[in-house]
Amino acid sequence: MLQQHQHHLQSAATAAPPLPPPATSTPPSSTAGEAPPKQVALAMDRLGHAARLIADIRLGADRLLEALFVAAQPHQSSKPLHLFRQEDDSMRQHLQDLRTIGRQLEESGVLNESLRSRSNSWGLHMPLVCPDGAVVAYAWKRQLAGQAGASAVDRTRLALKAFTDQKRRFFPHLDDEQNGQGTDSVSKKHRSSQALLEDNQDNLSDCKTLSDVLTSLEKDMPNLKVLTYERLDWLKRASSLPASANDNTMEVPKHNFHSSSILRPGPQNVVSMDKVAVIELLFPSVFRAVVSLHPAGSTDPDSVAFFSPDEGGSYIHARGSSVYHVYRHITEHAAVALQYFLGIRSETALHSLLHWICSYRSLFTDICSKCGRLLAMEKQSALLLPPVHHPYRTFSPSKASSTQAIASTGDQSCSAPRAYHIGCFSDEA
Amino acid sequence: MPLKWVFNWQPNAGSTVNSQILNEVSQCVESINGVKEGRWKATLTYYKPMLRDQALAAEFPRDFLGISLPEQPNKYYFILRGHKIVLEADSSIQLIMEKLQSYKSRVALNFEGFQYQLGDFQLRVGKVVPTHSENLRGIVMEQVEYLPISSLEKSRQLMEEFVDIWQDAVSKRSLPGHFLHIEPNFSDYGLADHYTSQHTAVQYAHVMAQLIASVQAGQAARN
Repeated sequence: MLQQHQHHLQSAATAAPPLPPPATSTPPSSTAGEAPPKQVALAMDRLGHAARLIADIRLGADRLLEALFVAAQPHQSSKPLHLFRQEDDSMRQHLQDLRTIGRQLEESGVLNESLRSRSNSWGLHMPLVCPDGAVVAYAWKRQLAGQAGASAVDRTRLALKAFTDQKRRFFPHLDDEQNGQGTDSVSKKHRSSQALLEDNQDNLSDCKTLSDVLTSLEKDMPNLKVLTYERLDWLKRASSLPASANDNTMEVPKHNFHSSSILRPGPQNVVSMDKVAVIELLFPSVFRAVVSLHPAGSTDPDSVAFFSPDEGGSYIHARGSSVYHVYRHITEHAAVALQYFLGIRSETALHSLLHWICSYRSLFTDICSKCGRLLAMEKQSALLLPPVHHPYRTFSPSKASSTQAIASTGDQSCSAPRAYHIGCFSDEA
Repeated sequence: MPLKWVFNWQPNAGSTVNSQILNEVSQCVESINGVKEGRWKATLTYYKPMLRDQALAAEFPRDFLGISLPEQPNKYYFILRGHKIVLEADSSIQLIMEKLQSYKSRVALNFEGFQYQLGDFQLRVGKVVPTHSENLRGIVMEQVEYLPISSLEKSRQLMEEFVDIWQDAVSKRSLPGHFLHIEPNFSDYGLADHYTSQHTAVQYAHVMAQLIASVQAGQAARN
């Protein structure tokens, strides 16, 4: 009897790894209604189940052998026989389940190549079980892997850019490239602005570095105070602003964009141009504009905000918001203008932006070019505001600073910038 | 600090001022989208010298004013209008004056009313009442403030336009009088273009002078 069982066991054990004899390869009509990915998922599921069953069978075989061994010992009760019977039953069940799974897998084409030749609408193939037991989910996996690969390229590219920026910022001595070349920004050329660009070409061609831009600005705008800061120094300056604003006798040196942040007498630190991250433009009694550069030392502005000259506090920065409505509206408008200048021609964006900001120097005296008044009720907020919209599409830095008579629309003098109330401003302007 | 223009109400000849006018003016502010924010109060005191011989009083300055303003709770302002002097002192000076007994209060007036916000503009409308009396002396005054900037020169055009809009709204109500703003010569007082509370104190002093003048003129006309 034992031998019989042993033989049984042997055949059961040897039967475990190789799966039951293949059934006829019937077309998987039952699974035709399901989408390929689901079929693949099901197949993977079933393979997993089969593997678990095989493991159970191996365990069962061990227990059977153990029971036989115990039974072979003298003076044993009927316990080993009981164990044996129990194990026998569960083994049969496992093998039965395995047969079922095997049939299902066959039907879905996993164990043979019946589906390979059929062109699946999704270009996916069912997983293949190799003779050595390895499962290859083949095309589906490759698809996923392919997708992962594509995004990996993007991620790598972004990571490289971020790394290069950081490197330029923290290790400038390692960087051999010029500032202008590093950026990836695409310059979209609008046909309508081509003439304008060629007009400005000569003026702007020598405004390549930050230093050039600021120098030309100071030359064009005599009332303007331009100050530059490293990013963290600006925070200190912003927080100390109310104290300096009330000081009527404050004297600021002429070439002050070379001087440091906190205004105190005595020797001032020179902010080297390649660390400049914040530019402050102050028209006394009119406004204070803060422009942020990214990366530091470049000519790439990334944000701008307007404030009252009397405002102070740590909220005064290029992404901050004034407490006064008039400056808040200008800041919103300036954000759009900045994007426009960057889109037209990113190399001259800073130059254009700074000159455009300066067009607000007569904010409280320029009447609206459309309605001729200074104050108008803005419909949405029901507030009285001066003209806060200055057109940027047709803005030209050279026109703004030149004193020659250039023909312009309306009867306004050419040196006064065009300004509009919110309600009077239209996109064509 | 934000600049202000102070106005006083000039009643038409023969008419008096009453609280109805104040109500109408308040409604006017609300009609140009003013939002009522709260109350405000300022005090103005006329001082007279305490002398043993009162006959000598004429030798002392006549218009010695003390003003306290709501935006500067720790300060007290003295003005000698005849001599064009304005002084900003700590509010504890009033205690010192009481101890010294050299000058005493002759008349004390309260300016009180409501404050309205119109975007970046702030308006105050109020009446002038003697401190120990509930009777409306019959004077309404008003103050326009433009918050974003402090330069009198740069803001002049803007304030004038605002006043035009304001006067327009008031005139629609056909009230027996109008608001009057006369800018004192700040440089006489040694004050600069950058606006401060001292400018406000000077404006108040001038407004009082005008009010007294118009009241006296009214009385003279009635006599």
